[in-house]
Amino acid sequence: MISVYYFGSISLILIGLYAVLVKRNVLKMLIGISIMETGVNLLLISIGYVSGKSAPILSEGIGPSQAVDPIPQALVLTAIVIGVATTAMALSVAVILYEKYGTLNVEEIRRLRG
Amino acid sequence: MNELLIIIFAPLIAGVIAWALDIKGVREIIGVIGAAVPLAYLIKLYSEVDAGNTIRYSTNFGGFTFDFALTHLSWIFAMIAGVVGLAAVLGMVSTSRNSYEWLFALMSLSGVYGVFLAYDLMGFFLFWELMTFGSFMMVLKYNRSASLKYFVLSIIGAYAMLLAIGMIYAKVGSFSFIEVYKALSQDAAMGAVGAGTIFSRGEMAAIFGLFLVAFGVKAGTFPLHVWAPDAYSETNQSYTAMFSGVLSKTGVYGFILIYMLLGYRLIVEFGTFRSVPKFGYIIAFLGGLTIVIGGILAALQEDIRKLFAYSSISQIGYILVAIGVGSALSIEAGIYHAISHALFKGLFFLIVATIVYRTGKTEFKDMGGLAEKMPFTFAMAFVAILSLAGIPPMVGFASKWLIFEAVISQNMPILGGMVFFGSAIGFVYLIRFTYAVWFGQRPTDLDDVKDAPLPLAIGMAILALLNVVFGIAPGIVAQELNKVFGSDVIGGTIWELNIGVGKYSGLLITIWLVIGMLVAAIIYFLGARVRRVPVTDTYQSGNPVTMDYNLTIRRNFFLPLKEALSFWLRISFDKLYRDIAKTTEDFADTLRNYVYNGNVQSYAWYLAIVLLILAIWGV
Repeated sequence: MISVYYFGSISLILIGLYAVLVKRNVLKMLIGISIMETGVNLLLISIGYVSGKSAPILSEGIGPSQAVDPIPQALVLTAIVIGVATTAMALSVAVILYEKYGTLNVEEIRRLRG
Repeated sequence: MNELLIIIFAPLIAGVIAWALDIKGVREIIGVIGAAVPLAYLIKLYSEVDAGNTIRYSTNFGGFTFDFALTHLSWIFAMIAGVVGLAAVLGMVSTSRNSYEWLFALMSLSGVYGVFLAYDLMGFFLFWELMTFGSFMMVLKYNRSASLKYFVLSIIGAYAMLLAIGMIYAKVGSFSFIEVYKALSQDAAMGAVGAGTIFSRGEMAAIFGLFLVAFGVKAGTFPLHVWAPDAYSETNQSYTAMFSGVLSKTGVYGFILIYMLLGYRLIVEFGTFRSVPKFGYIIAFLGGLTIVIGGILAALQEDIRKLFAYSSISQIGYILVAIGVGSALSIEAGIYHAISHALFKGLFFLIVATIVYRTGKTEFKDMGGLAEKMPFTFAMAFVAILSLAGIPPMVGFASKWLIFEAVISQNMPILGGMVFFGSAIGFVYLIRFTYAVWFGQRPTDLDDVKDAPLPLAIGMAILALLNVVFGIAPGIVAQELNKVFGSDVIGGTIWELNIGVGKYSGLLITIWLVIGMLVAAIIYFLGARVRRVPVTDTYQSGNPVTMDYNLTIRRNFFLPLKEALSFWLRISFDKLYRDIAKTTEDFADTLRNYVYNGNVQSYAWYLAIVLLILAIWGV
């Protein structure tokens, strides 16, 4: 039985992939990429979840044995930052594309470029 | 330093020095010395080789043991390289443009010596490549596309050879000729009694096929000959004398090596066809096709250089036929023809070099009446023409006669027919060279042409002299060849060849020829009536000449032949190779349009599909 977390996050990845593969508009493709990113992050987090344990912050009453796996959380923290950076960069490219070609349709841009 | 190493590396060292100094006058002297030193050493070592000793030398370099040996056979081939190489280098003194040519011409000569003296497969391959590289650079300077064609075919040949050597090494565990020979003859003995052999039937066929490609490329065998016409014509013409005279002989030497190393095993495995080993029959048949195709194409050329390039291919075909037939007599005849081919073809290309050097023209239509202006070169050309056409007192007759006898005595009607056809077509293209260049009307711009420069003249004289000497005394060569085989395959004295089914006496024929010429001269001087014949009377058979069908000997002389053969001429291997290249290019273009199409989304699809496949696979 697949846990609902896995199912949900993989669905998000597939939805994002669908947008990237099928949509013609650059912005929609970028939205797809963002959705994929979210899905990947959620998947990573859910891998680290140990049922019934609390956040891995050492405080009173919570020792190392009562915490969930902290490594995926550190990983996801990095991945979020990278995701934001790439999204920002891709958006600026999209702005330049629109300025240069007057459209955001990838097919048309490809044709214009020759 | 060992004598064999001096023979091999003297030209290369001289070439490097000549290139580095690059002083006009000095580099020529160094180059000639570099070509003369190996020849001197070879002559000096003759007494030892003649006594039946094999001079051996082996050195260890980079983990490999390189063996060199001077056997009687390799001495003969090295002498070809020495004599023709020296003559060609003398010619280069006049025709070379810069020190670059000296470096690479002498480098390829070094490679040739290495190929002939190497006694292990690895050294053989390395020197083979050195020779190819030197000659490739010589062509590159003159014509890029011709050199590329040569390069690509050479690479194919080199890889084929390397694969075959690798297959042999994998089983035998040694590169040395002796070890390989021992292993393979043992294998042949095992195969003969039906025991298990280390080389399977398929492996032997593969090794033979790969060697056939490797040596076929260098010798210019049909259908791998396409590089030769372009490479021979698009380089320094003096160097071509070496190219066609010496470098092509390494291919011939390779075919003999197949006999020496693989022969027994191949005969045991594949049997014989009418007393000729089957594998040899393949070589012979390819040689026969080479004769016919090279000959016909030579007749149709309008450019002197191209004509002799095709003619060179055609003559190599004779050698392959003789070697392929595989009896002791025919192999001896093949080596004999290799010697005479080197002598007359080297001479021919030096003559062409002289003509091109003095007139700056290469096509028949611009030539004519040069015999008066260049009497010495004409005399040399006369010797060369007689020798190539196989007219008695020249060496070309002796070797061709031996080939005819060898082929006929083995009852090979098709090969015999091809060889005879080749001789007939030889006359067809030579008569054109004879008449169109030396006789007839002279174009006015050739009025102040001078005779050959001295170095070229010396080079030509050496080769012409040997053509005549070996022609009058054919036994000199034959007796050396008998020593290679250790038995009197060709009997007779030095003046006479006797092979049991027939005799040929070079001296007797020369005497009769001289008497005949004396009689003719007496009649002429006693007052034969001289009548001047207009040039046009000699080739039009009384028909009026129309402008659109103007077949003078200088222009489209063999156009009717060309039209008759037009269907066959369309089938060209040159074109086939170009078509293959074009198809590959088209295929890559299609791939680029549909797969590598610049669309980000299709790349995303490829990625998704690959991921899906991996997921299904369970990675």
